[in-house]
Amino acid sequence: MSQLVKLIIDGQDYEAEQDSLLIQLLIDKEIKVPYFCYHESLGADGNCRMCMVGIEGQKRPQIACDTLIKEGMIVNTKTDTIKQVHTDILELELINHPVDCPTCDQAGECSLQDFYMEYGLHSSKITIEEKVKHNKAIDLGSNVMLDQERCVLCARCTRFTDKITGTHELGIVGRGDEAKVTTMPNRPLSNPYAMNVVDLCPVGALTSKDFRFSQRVWLLESADGVCHGCAKNCSIIIDHNKLKYKDDTIYRFRPRRNDAINGFFICDTGRLSYRELQENRQETPLLDGVKISEDKAIEKAKELILLYKRNTSIIIDANLYTQEIEAIVAFAQEIGADVYAPLDIYRDEAFGDDMLRSSMRAANAQTIINMDINTQKPKKVGLILNFNHPEKFESAATINFLTHTRAETALTLPIATFTESSGSLTNEDGITQFSKKVIHKNIPVPTLIESLKRVSQ
Amino acid sequence: MSFKFTEDNLLEIERLKKRYPAPQALCLPSLWMAQYQEGYISLEAIDAISQVTTIPAMEIYRVATFYTMFHLEKSDKIEVDVCKTLSCKLCGSDEILKHLESKSDIKINHVECLGSCGTAPVMQINDKNYENLTNTKVDAILKEL
Repeated sequence: MSQLVKLIIDGQDYEAEQDSLLIQLLIDKEIKVPYFCYHESLGADGNCRMCMVGIEGQKRPQIACDTLIKEGMIVNTKTDTIKQVHTDILELELINHPVDCPTCDQAGECSLQDFYMEYGLHSSKITIEEKVKHNKAIDLGSNVMLDQERCVLCARCTRFTDKITGTHELGIVGRGDEAKVTTMPNRPLSNPYAMNVVDLCPVGALTSKDFRFSQRVWLLESADGVCHGCAKNCSIIIDHNKLKYKDDTIYRFRPRRNDAINGFFICDTGRLSYRELQENRQETPLLDGVKISEDKAIEKAKELILLYKRNTSIIIDANLYTQEIEAIVAFAQEIGADVYAPLDIYRDEAFGDDMLRSSMRAANAQTIINMDINTQKPKKVGLILNFNHPEKFESAATINFLTHTRAETALTLPIATFTESSGSLTNEDGITQFSKKVIHKNIPVPTLIESLKRVSQ
Repeated sequence: MSFKFTEDNLLEIERLKKRYPAPQALCLPSLWMAQYQEGYISLEAIDAISQVTTIPAMEIYRVATFYTMFHLEKSDKIEVDVCKTLSCKLCGSDEILKHLESKSDIKINHVECLGSCGTAPVMQINDKNYENLTNTKVDAILKEL
């Protein structure tokens, strides 16, 4: 660790590492300073010029993202000069901006809007007709839409494809007021992390094709969650809401910063997995493909379990929460059944990479391994209790506990998905996270533990 | 259609490689070579440059679009580069442009400063600057080509 030095910001004493970036200290200490181009994962670029601060001893205001902290530095962020500088630079950023906030998806989470309310509040000196026109709805590929007029040329997206993914699809071409972000002709944005540029974009230039025009962001409720796409367990934010006359619905997953696991990003597969999660849900108990009442299903399940006593195997999905797996194992001991959690089906070498995607596509596989559960396939037995495992195994009788519908005729009991119940998960690196119940359905589906309790009573 | 640098150009690139400390410096010389070789810079040429210089293709594309003297489209017409910067504007480049626009067998490119502000307005055809332009002078120059 390098040396700690003292500095003064707006008359307050602070301590920071020598030669670390001033803007990072300002952000960490929640001292307001406007910025577009700086991002902790991408480093300083110094192109937007918004983060000007006054430093005593320096003739002109300096950008905080290119200022290294030195001993005894005296920094001012709130003087009238600095405020005027922020206002003037913001006016320049906005000069060709179309100000189409009413139809912009970024509205409500847009840096330009926020800074305008804070520092701008000016009227434009040029008319709409005089503004430089660019293209407004360009499909860049990988579910990313570009509006070149809204862009402030902060280059976060191009730096993401240069530095993080190393795929170099995006770049700023042209010069002056003709400069714009684009891909090369016929070479669309295509990498498994492409949609992160939508989160990185501080304005409405890059929006998600998936989320576009579906909800206003201020109507959404955000809750912490954990992605179940693979054994990496990236931390996510689940944006959902329950509109009048509608059910609680998830509209998007966003990455949640977690330095121990995923940093600032998630992969596109994980980001879009919320769609599958909500489609084709198993909501009622089934027998031979026909809906039956819950009481009848529980009764039937109890009968079967009794009938095949000492001749039962239990199959566990490696995506279930640790608490659910523990409950199943306890139940198995109670009825004297063998427990299996075959992991082979989750292995997908093509999916894995050295960033955030694991080739083990089951969220809680590590817990299966930690608990020493048999990962082989079950031998042929009388009764199989399948707890949402994707494979079908041969047996005389089967009871399925499913989150999503399947083309099977066996007795089926519905169970809640991971967003509708709480529990913890351990990822492949041994990091455990707790995930809270987020979605409250109008007609709730029982959680696995609730169903299990009723069956074992 | 694929692009291949000529043997001479490849040798020249190898010679220049030793001169510069970083491969990025090879970008502009190789863009010039490609343009002289084919008359314009195709996407295939950008890929070829990317391969010999180990710079990502996008970065070369960015440079090629930034500088107005690089042409990314093939043109059968005579390319006339007209300066659009301050000195030429003040000395009447707008009038020259209007006059040029009436002609059909040329392609007009609006370019940044041609480095000859003292003799504005200026246009450039095939790397040659034509200075102190007037409409009659433009007609004479185009006739000569």
